Formats: sequence, C-alpha cells, structure tokens
Amino acid sequence: MRWIRPLSAQVGETAETIGAKAHGLVALHRLGLPVPAGFVVTTEACRAFLREGRLPTGLDAELTAAMRGLETATGRRFGGTQRPLAVSVRSGAGVSMPGMMNTILNLGLTTQATAGLTAETGDARFALNSRLRFLTTFASALTNTVPEADTIEAAEDLLRQRSGRTVPDDAARQLELAVEAVFSSWNTPRARTYRKLHDIPHDLGTAVIVQAMVFGNRDDRSGTGVAFSRDPNTGEKAPFGDVLFGHQGEDVVSGRSLTHPLRELADREPPIWDALTSALNRIEAHHRDACYVEFTFQAGELWLLQARPGRFVGAAAVRLATDLADERLITRDEALLRVSPHHLRHVRTPRMAAAEADVLGGGVGACPGVATGRIATTTDAAVRMAADGPVILARPETSPHDLRGLAAATGVLTTRGGPASHAAVVARAMGKPAVVGVTDLTIDAADASVRAGGRTFGEGTLITIDGTSGEVALGTPPIVTNTADAHLRRLLAWADQASGDHSHRTEAQRLSAAHAAISTSSATS
Amino acid sequence: MNALDPLLLVLHALRCGGHSGVARVAAATCMDESEAESELIDLAVAGLVTYQGGRFGAWGLTDAGRVADAERITGELDSAGARPAVTAAYRAFMALNPELLDLCTAWQMRPLDGVVTANDHTDPAYDARVLGQFTAFHRRAEIVCADLAAALPRFGRYRDRLALALERAEAGRLEYLVDDISAYHTVWAELHEDLLATLGIAR
Repeated sequence: MRWIRPLSAQVGETAETIGAKAHGLVALHRLGLPVPAGFVVTTEACRAFLREGRLPTGLDAELTAAMRGLETATGRRFGGTQRPLAVSVRSGAGVSMPGMMNTILNLGLTTQATAGLTAETGDARFALNSRLRFLTTFASALTNTVPEADTIEAAEDLLRQRSGRTVPDDAARQLELAVEAVFSSWNTPRARTYRKLHDIPHDLGTAVIVQAMVFGNRDDRSGTGVAFSRDPNTGEKAPFGDVLFGHQGEDVVSGRSLTHPLRELADREPPIWDALTSALNRIEAHHRDACYVEFTFQAGELWLLQARPGRFVGAAAVRLATDLADERLITRDEALLRVSPHHLRHVRTPRMAAAEADVLGGGVGACPGVATGRIATTTDAAVRMAADGPVILARPETSPHDLRGLAAATGVLTTRGGPASHAAVVARAMGKPAVVGVTDLTIDAADASVRAGGRTFGEGTLITIDGTSGEVALGTPPIVTNTADAHLRRLLAWADQASGDHSHRTEAQRLSAAHAAISTSSATS
Repeated sequence: MNALDPLLLVLHALRCGGHSGVARVAAATCMDESEAESELIDLAVAGLVTYQGGRFGAWGLTDAGRVADAERITGELDSAGARPAVTAAYRAFMALNPELLDLCTAWQMRPLDGVVTANDHTDPAYDARVLGQFTAFHRRAEIVCADLAAALPRFGRYRDRLALALERAEAGRLEYLVDDISAYHTVWAELHEDLLATLGIAR
C-alpha cells in the first residue's frame, strides 16, 4: 500500500512518516504488549491532502482494504448489524502538539450498527452512549468546536447547524470524512500559531491512526486510565496515575469525570494491575527511561493505547536519572545528559510532602509553589477573609469577576480548565501558586463549601495546594525544598568526575561543564 | 435608553468586570478616573452600585443594579435586532479563545530542553516570536470585534482597547500582554464575559 501501514511489529518506518504515536504503538507491538488492531495513514498522505485539497487518489481503496483486514483480525463487521466493528480515529504527528488536533471515537456506529451492538451486548444504554460519543467527537472534529450535546439528536442538530452537514449513516463514508477532518485539523489557525510559537515546520503533516475500539464503558469490569512507571512528582519508583472505572479514555485526559488513584486498580482488578505494572516495566527497560501510557481495559482485558517517555522535570528528573544509573539501565554519563541545567532551577521549588498529607484531590499544577490558606468559595469571601490571614480562592473556574479575589488570595484552585485557563494565566501573572482542573473536588458557592470524596468542608477550612504536582491537601502538611538533595549531591559528584573540575561553582555550572566534557570525549572517541 | 450613556457604560463595566476599583472601571469604559468616579457616585445614589471598603475596596453592582443592567442589555440587543449577529460573533470568539490562551501561556512559560520553564524574558528572539503571533492573532480578532461593533456600537470599545494594549506591548511595555488591568488578556476576558452577559449564557 502506498498511503497506509499496518500497526505491527514489522513496520520499520520513522516517526516522521507514521507519527510519534504510531511509532510508539509499533514499539509496544515489538514488546509483545496488547495493542488494539489497527493501521496508520501516513503523514505523506496528509501532505498530499493539504496540497491538493482532497484525499490522494487510491487512498479510498486502501482504506477499504485496510478495514477489511481489521474486520478479519477482530472477527467483526465495520458498520455491520451483527458484531459491529467500531474504530477510533486519532491524529498523530511526528512532533507532539498536545490538544491541537482531533480524535474521533466509536466511528462506524451507524444506527444499524448501534442496534447490532445493543443486540450483541444486551445493553442498550452502553450502545447508545457509545453512539453519542461518536457523534459528539465527529461533530467536534468536523466543526472545530467543542460541542456540548448530551443527546444523540442534539449532536446531530449541532453538526447540521454548524457545518450544514449530516452524519452519513455509512461507516466507510464516516471514516473518509474523519480522516479528512484530522488532516484538516493540522492547519487550523490555532495549530498554525502553536507551531510558529514552538518552531515546528508547517509542512510535516500528521498521520492518522485507525484502531479497533476497546470500550472502557463496556461494563463494570471495564475502565480507562493513564499511568506513569514512576511518580512524576518525586521520581520515586512506584507506578502513578489515574483510573476511571466504566468510562472511555477521553474522559480521563479531558478531566471530565471523577478519577481514582491508579493504586485502586490493584484492589479492584488485580489481573489488570499485574498486567499493567509488568507492561510498564517492559516499556521502561526498552526505552531505558520512565514512561507514560494510556490504557483501557474492557471486560477484564488490558489494552495499551499510547506510550511515550515520562518527561519528568525538576527534582523528579534528578532522582530518575540517578536511579536509572543505579539500576544500570543507563550509564552515569547518560544520567548526566538526561538532566538539563534548566531542571536545576526547579529542584528546590517548595513542594508538599504528599506522603504525609491528607490529599483531597489532584489537578494540574499551573503555577509552581506551595500555598496554605483558608478556603474561600467566592471572590467576596476571599476579600473579606483575607483581612484575617491567607486565603485559597477555590472556584469552578475564574472570570474577570474574580480578579479581586485572585489579588486577595495566596493561592488559587479551580475544578475546571487546564494550564492555559483564565485562572492559570492570571495566577502566573500574579506569581501565585495555582492548581487547576481538580475534578475530584466540587465547589458549592451557594452552600459555601467544598466536597471531596464523601467529605464536605466549609468555607474557612485550612488547605494546602502544590502548584507543581497539582495536589490539594487538608490542613498544613510538611513543606519540603530538598526532596532530591541526596540524589542531586550524587549526580553533581558524577558531574565533577566527568569534567575533572572540582572547584567551587554553581550547580548549573557543574552540570554544564560535565555535559561539555562528555560531548567532547564522545566526539573524539 | 441610549447605549452610549456613560452611566450605563459604567454599570455594565461592573457587570462584566465584577467588583472593580475606579481605575479598572475607567479603563473598561475609556473614561478618565474622575469622570468614572462621578458616574459611580450617581449610580450609588440610584441604589444600583455600592462601595465595599477595606484593603481590596471596590465598587460592585447591587441586586437592583444587576437587574437594571440585564434589562437594558437585553433590551438593547433585541431592539437593535442584533441577536443573530452577536451569536455568530460569539461563536467566532470562542473559536479564537483557546488560541489566545495558548499565546498567553507561551508568553509566560516556555519549553527549554524539554523542561517547561517560566519565561524570564531574557531571550528577545523568543519574546519577539510570541509578540509577532499576538499581532497575527489580533488581525483575526479585529474582524470579530468589527462585526460586533457593527451589531452593537458599544463593542467598538473592545476593539480599541485590544488594539491599544497590543500597540503598547509592541512599543516595549510588555506588561500590556497579560499583567495589567488594561492588558490584552484582561480586555479579552472582559469581552468574553460581556458576550456571555449580553446573550444571557451561563458560564
């Protein structure tokens, strides 16, 4: 095939051609790990599409053939009335552009196929929910908006209104439109701006990954999650992440639903936990680095949907590098090169000692630093209470109405939004620790309270937030600035050994000297 | 009621900006501070706004002020027949919104050797690149602002304030991108709030 490659251990192509995500999936195949059957449409097809404004000649026939292969591999029928095959359609460029491009889930669930899925599972609610997820992600991809639709009719109407299109009730046609939509999303104004900001060429294009769906919302032995092989906050060697029982993958990444700490998987689904931890170990050993995976389990069976390096920063990066050297996965020179002098600026950012804290929930750290204060659920309360001591402004999200509260508060917590939300941008402008997207908490301004798990805390309750890890804890847990001191001392001793310079310099200078010495010796050897 | 009545402009500035000091009201309405303050006092006499003292002292709407503003804004929208145009502009605004937030984030944070770090503004080339993207973004935002101003003239103020913020940033006053009460991000967020208030959309 000219435009399509199977996702299999035999594919030898580079991330430039099949995208980084597909490249990672090929590596998982080689490790013998469970990956849903699928194929990838190359970035070359995307470039042809962008050049000519239509899918390249021959791609439609290749898509048909590739789907036939998927039908054989899964024993299911695309758009079929019995054992229907549904697929995910995801973007995957050679470089990471998080959140910039589209994903369509459950594609192929035509009205007939949805009826077929109901008949097969005996679960109409599951089948209809799955079709709704298809329609909302499809409408979102075709209109480049975030449609909020909670019924199938609303999602169809939305697409009609915004794009003048109807959803074709033909699975093959759905697939073509989805591939076009993902290709087109390479060139949205937002994606173009992102590439200019980050110096990424415009002519790379994205690949499209098509995979058989696995349903995290299938039953109560299904779910989805994200996992790091080590704790990205500390670098400690212990799996870390979130799991969501009975839901599909986008819910975790988007933070739309309530997640649980990954560890709960060990109690609820021990075989899945075992399979996952062993997969994390194998991926680590292969990449010789901490890793991050997205996974789904369906009816007690684990599937990996994505894997990439962990990309740890600060103290966690220092600990990871020294630990990997101790475990003989990398050499000391490699450990030194894994830590950028920029990491050292973050090594001593104050951190909450989470192990000793009553953690209420976690979100995304949006502005580093630790802040302790009494909960204020409105801007008015924050202003009033700030006269008597530090306050944490806790809001679902912030708006210009909250500027006064943001000014009065010592730290900021929101339950919605990501690292580019209004709250995050303003908190950074004001230099205040901030945690956003803490989906585990519910803020009830009318009741002046915050709920977490089964517990309710009134306004004025003392809490602590960590703007690096995104953790929120009750009371005043210990704050530490030296989580990686021992590791840092060892790493810097290796650095001095490598550079042969034992004079008194800053930590960044010692590390930079080691980098220079290592690159010189590798260039001359 | 006249849409450009200064009294109502001040009232609506508090609706969109929440509790604000005189400086912020003046910035939002393009008045000078003494003028804004005198309107605030008149509104307070009418029972529509009130002043809360203290360290973060500020003017805010009373319940009556909120009702009066909503009546006037809805009345203006419908009597001008502007609802379809403002709704379309709101959609266009929402398509631009994530991009503006990306730009603000890129201004504040940047990846260095794969480590996302606070932008310390010591690399003029990087800052120039981000600023250049703000300028390119603004050309598209201007179209939305122009459509809004054509539908309801009071929205023209946002076009002017955004242009001024960018002009100042380009002249080297970098706090006018995200850090000031008249910064691009601040004005943009107030425009967002105004669109929600005008169309009666809950957050």
